[in-house]
Amino acid sequence: MAIKQYVVASFRDEDQLLPAVKKVRMQGYKLYDVFTPFPVHGLDAAMGLRQTALHTAGFIYGALGTATALLGMSWIFVVSWPLDIGGKPHFPLPSFIPITFELTVLFSAVGTTLTFCWLNQIMPGVKKHIFHPRQSDDRFVMAIEITPKTQVEEVKQFLLNNGAEEVQVQTAEEGWWYGLFSKREKYDDINPQWSVQ
Amino acid sequence: MEERFVIPRRFRNTSLIFISIGVLAFLAGLFGLHGDVGVKRFWSVLVFDSLFFLYISAASLFLYCAASLAQASWHIAYKRVIEAIMVNIPVFAIIAFIVLMAVLIGHKYFIYPWTDPQVLAHDTIVAGKTPFLNVKLFVIFTVIIMLGWSLLSLKLRQISLQEDRAERGVRRFLWKTIFFSAVFIAFYAVTISVSSWHWLMSIAARWYSTMYGWYVFAGSFISLMAIISLFVIAIKNSGQLSLVNKEHLHDLGKFIFAFSIFWTYIWFAQYFLLWYGNIPLESQYFRPQLWGHYRFWFLLDLVINFAVPFLLLMTRDAKRNYTTVTIIALIVFFGHWLDFYLMVMPTVLPTQGVVGWYEIGITLGFVGLMIGLVSRALSRAPLYPVNHPYLKEAIIHKSDWG
Amino acid sequence: MLHYESTVREPLVNGNKDYHQVTEDIISPIEKKPGKLWWIALGFAVTMLLFGVWSVFWETYWGIGVWGENRTVGWAWDITNFVWWVGIGHAGTLISAILLLFRQGWRTGVNRAAEAMTIFAVLCAGQFPVWHMGRVWLAFFILPYPNSRGPLWVNFNSPLLWDVFAVSTYLTVSILFWYSGLIPDVATIRDRAKKKFAKFFYGLCSFGWRGTAKEWQRLEALGLLLAGLSTPLVLSVHSVVSMDFATSVIPGWHETIFPPYFVAGAIFSGFAMVQTLLILTRKILHLEEYVTLGHIEAMNKIIMLTGGIVAMAYITELFIAWYSNVVYEQGAFWWRILGPYWWAYIILITCNVVSPQLFWFKKLRRNIPFTFVMSIVVNIGMWFERFVIIVLSLYHDYMPSAWVYYSPRWPEVGFYIGTFGLFFTCYLLFAKYFPVIAVWEIRSVLKTSGENYKQKMAALEQKDTEEFLQEVQHEHALAAH
Repeated sequence: MAIKQYVVASFRDEDQLLPAVKKVRMQGYKLYDVFTPFPVHGLDAAMGLRQTALHTAGFIYGALGTATALLGMSWIFVVSWPLDIGGKPHFPLPSFIPITFELTVLFSAVGTTLTFCWLNQIMPGVKKHIFHPRQSDDRFVMAIEITPKTQVEEVKQFLLNNGAEEVQVQTAEEGWWYGLFSKREKYDDINPQWSVQ
Repeated sequence: MEERFVIPRRFRNTSLIFISIGVLAFLAGLFGLHGDVGVKRFWSVLVFDSLFFLYISAASLFLYCAASLAQASWHIAYKRVIEAIMVNIPVFAIIAFIVLMAVLIGHKYFIYPWTDPQVLAHDTIVAGKTPFLNVKLFVIFTVIIMLGWSLLSLKLRQISLQEDRAERGVRRFLWKTIFFSAVFIAFYAVTISVSSWHWLMSIAARWYSTMYGWYVFAGSFISLMAIISLFVIAIKNSGQLSLVNKEHLHDLGKFIFAFSIFWTYIWFAQYFLLWYGNIPLESQYFRPQLWGHYRFWFLLDLVINFAVPFLLLMTRDAKRNYTTVTIIALIVFFGHWLDFYLMVMPTVLPTQGVVGWYEIGITLGFVGLMIGLVSRALSRAPLYPVNHPYLKEAIIHKSDWG
Repeated sequence: MLHYESTVREPLVNGNKDYHQVTEDIISPIEKKPGKLWWIALGFAVTMLLFGVWSVFWETYWGIGVWGENRTVGWAWDITNFVWWVGIGHAGTLISAILLLFRQGWRTGVNRAAEAMTIFAVLCAGQFPVWHMGRVWLAFFILPYPNSRGPLWVNFNSPLLWDVFAVSTYLTVSILFWYSGLIPDVATIRDRAKKKFAKFFYGLCSFGWRGTAKEWQRLEALGLLLAGLSTPLVLSVHSVVSMDFATSVIPGWHETIFPPYFVAGAIFSGFAMVQTLLILTRKILHLEEYVTLGHIEAMNKIIMLTGGIVAMAYITELFIAWYSNVVYEQGAFWWRILGPYWWAYIILITCNVVSPQLFWFKKLRRNIPFTFVMSIVVNIGMWFERFVIIVLSLYHDYMPSAWVYYSPRWPEVGFYIGTFGLFFTCYLLFAKYFPVIAVWEIRSVLKTSGENYKQKMAALEQKDTEEFLQEVQHEHALAAH
C-alpha cells in the first residue's frame, strides 16, 4: 500500500465541478479521482473514462445460465433417468423454458453483481480513505495526486480560481485495505480538518 | 418549428406502385383463384390482411392514448406520425367491414363455420355458442367497435390540431386529450377482446383461449412499433423531422425489443398451457402448425419474432443505428404479418395454405395504402405539435437514463 | 447543465431543498433513538410473529391434518397466502425496474421502501410452501440432486419445481437490486455517523463505497442491467405461480390468460400494499415532502389500471367459460358464483372491480385517508381473488359425491398472522435503520423536479421553442468537447 499525498478540493455544485475537471485535465495535473454524492452525468466523459463493459459480462453470465439449465435438464431427463411423466416426451422443451429462463436471470444477476463488486473493489470489511466527510452528502470532491513535479501551491490556487470552496493537502493510503471505519486512520491526526463537517 | 411535411416523391411512387400491385393481385385473385382451395385462399387472405391493418391502426390510437395518460414526452417529436397512422382507422375499418360483410353475405362458411346451418345442425359445441356467434350480434358489435375506434381517433386528432392553432402554453388540450384517452383505453380494453373473439377466434369455432385478445393486441402493437420506426426513419431520410435524433430512435428500438419479448411471453403462455393440458378440444388448434403443413412457418414465426429482435437489438449501439433498426423493423413487421396469417390459414386451409403471389400482392396493396394515407395525413398538419406543453422536453430528451 | 422539465408536471420534492437538506430529512431519523410508537409497533409485530411460530410448530408437530384442508380441497389458505404475498412483492420490482425503464421520475420517492417490501413479502411467501411440506426436514428433496435410490431426479415437468426456481431467483435478484442501490446511502450514514458502533456497522454495510466516478458509472450500469433482468423476471415469477394452477386440467384453473392476469393482479395488490406502508411511513417519519400527493396519485392510477386489467380478465374468464361450451368449465363458474361460497365472489368483485372505480375521481385519488382505506380494501379483494380461484375451483370437482365445504382452522390462520408479524418486524427494522427513500436518487432528480428549482424553470418555459432548441444544441456541443 503506497502512501500518497493529494491536493483535495471540495465544490458545492456539480455545475462548477464539471468545468473544473476538464480544466484540471487540460492543465496536465494528475487527477486521482472525483467523489460525488450522486452520479453526475457527463462526469465520466469529462474525466475521459471509458464506458463500462458490465453489460457484456452480464450477457455472458446469462448465456452460461441458459446453457447450464438446458444442458443440465436435458441430460437428466434424456440420459440419466428418462421418466414418463403424464405422457410428456422425455425431452419436453416447453417445460424446460421456465427454469431455463430463471437460471439465465439468476446467473446473469449474481455474476454481474459480483463482477461489479470486484471491479469497484468493494466488499464488507474493505476500507478506503474518505477525503471529505460530506462527499456522500452535498460536496463534490476532487483529489489530485501530488507527484514530485507538482507545485502544490499553484494547484491549490488553480482549484480555488476554478470554483473550489476549500482546498487542502491530505496524506493517505492509496486504494483499499481490510479495516473498519470505526478505527481511526494513521494519518488522521496530521490531515487538516474541513471547515464543513 | 412550423415545419410542414412535404410528401417525398419516393413515398408517393412506392405507395402508388404497391397499391397497383394490390389491385392487380386482387383482380387476379378474383378471376384466377378457382376451386375450393382458391376461393378459400382468396377470402381468408382478405380477412386477415384487412384485420391486421385495422388492428395496427387501432394500436396506434392505443399508443397515443397510453402515452397521453402516462403524460409521456418521449414520443412528442414524432407524435404526428402516430397521429397520422391512427387517423386512418376509419379507412381500414371500412375496408375490413366490407370484407367481413362480403364473407357473411356471400355465405363463406369456411371462414366463419358458425354461419353454416349444416355445422350448427351437427356440431353441438358450435351450436351452443350461437347466442354470441350469430350474424346479428356480429354485425352490431362490428359496427359499434369500428365506429367507436374511428370516432375517438378523429376526436383526438381534432384536439391535437386545435392545440396547434391555439396559444402556446394553453393546457386545456392536454387535459382534454387525457380525458378522451381514458375513455378510449377503457373502450379498447373491452373491444380488443370482443373483436378478436368475433373476428378471429371464431374462425376456429370449436376452439377457445382466454388469452386471445392479449395475443392479438401484442402482435398488433409490436407491428405498430415497427411501422412507426420505419416511417420515422424514412421521413428522416427525406430530410425532414429534424427534431428526431438518435435518442428518439433508441426509444423506438427499445420498444421493438421489449415488446418482442412481451409478445413471446404471451405466445408462450398460450401455446404452453394448451400444450401442457393437452385437451383435444384445445390442442387441435396447434396441430396443423406444430406437426402439419405449417410447421415451417410456425417455427419461422418464433425465430423472426423473438430470436431476431432479441439477439440483434440487445445492445445499445444497435438500437441507435438507423440501418439496424430499419432491417429489424422490416423483419418484425413481416413476422407479425405471418403471425396473423397463422391465426387464420391453418384453420381454414389445414393442409394447403401457401405464401404466394396472392398473399404477398394483397399485403403490398395494404402497405401501399398505408404509406399513401399516412403521408397524406402528415402533410395536412405541422410536422410537430408546436404548442404541446411537452415539446421542449422532447427536445432535450435523452434516451440514456438520468 | 441544462435542467428542464415541463412545469405541467408536479414537483417530486416539495419545499425549499438543497442536497444537504435532503440528506438531513431522510437520514436524521435513523440517527435518533427509536420512538415510543416504534417500540409499540415492533412489540405488536413480534407478538404476531411469535403466534405464527407457535402455529407453525403445532402444524409441524401434529402434521398437516391440523389444517382445515380435506380430500377435495387439498390446497386452500396456505397457497392462497403464498400467492397473495408473492403478488404483493411484485409492486416493488415494478417500481424499481419497469418504472426505471420507462423513466418515470416519481419512482425515486417510493422505490426504496417498495423494494424492501418486495423482499419481505417474498420471504413471507416462501414460508407457505416450505411449511406445507409437512415433513419440512425433507425440504431439500426439492433441489435437483441425484438421490440415494439411484439417480432419480426432481420432476422438471412440475410447475411446483419451477416455483422453487422462480421464487428463489426472484428473492436473490430483488436483494441484489435493493442492496446495490442502498450501498451509496449507507455510505452517507457511515460518513455522518458519530458513534463508534454506527461507524462500524454502517462501515461494514457500505462495502467501502466512496462514490468515485467509475463506481457511479458501474452502479448505474448494474442498475439498468438488473432492471432489464427484473422486468421479465417479475412477469415470469407470477406467471410460474399461475402455472401451478393453469397447467392442470381443473376447470377454473386451466386458462391461458392466467399468466398475465396473475401478473396484473399481483401489481394491483402490490401497489395497494405500497400505499398502505408509505402513507404510514411518510406520516411517521415526516417525509411528506418526498412522498407527495403526486406520488400517491400516480400509484392510485396504476391501481386503477391494473384493477381494470384484472376486471377485464374476470369478464374474459367468465365469458369464455360459457363460450367454451365445456360443461365442466361452465359448472366451475356456476358454482363459483352461485354456490355456497357466493359471498367470497361478491367480496372479490366489490373490492377489486367496483370500489377501484372511485379512483376515476381526481379528488379521491388525492385523498389520503380514502387511499389508505382503498389500499386495504384492494388487498382484501386480492386475497379473496386467490381464495376464489383456489378453493372455489376445487370444492365442487368432477365428482359430486366428493363435494365439500372448506373452513380454515386456527393453525392456518395463526400462520397467516405470523407472516404479517414477520413482514412488519422486517419493515420496522428496515425503516428505522436504513433510509426508506433513496437519498442519492432524490439528489439526482432534485434540480429537475425539486419545487424550488421548478419555480426557476418558468423562464425556460417562456422561451421560444427555436431559441430553446439552439440552447440545447449549444449545450450538446459544449459537452462534446
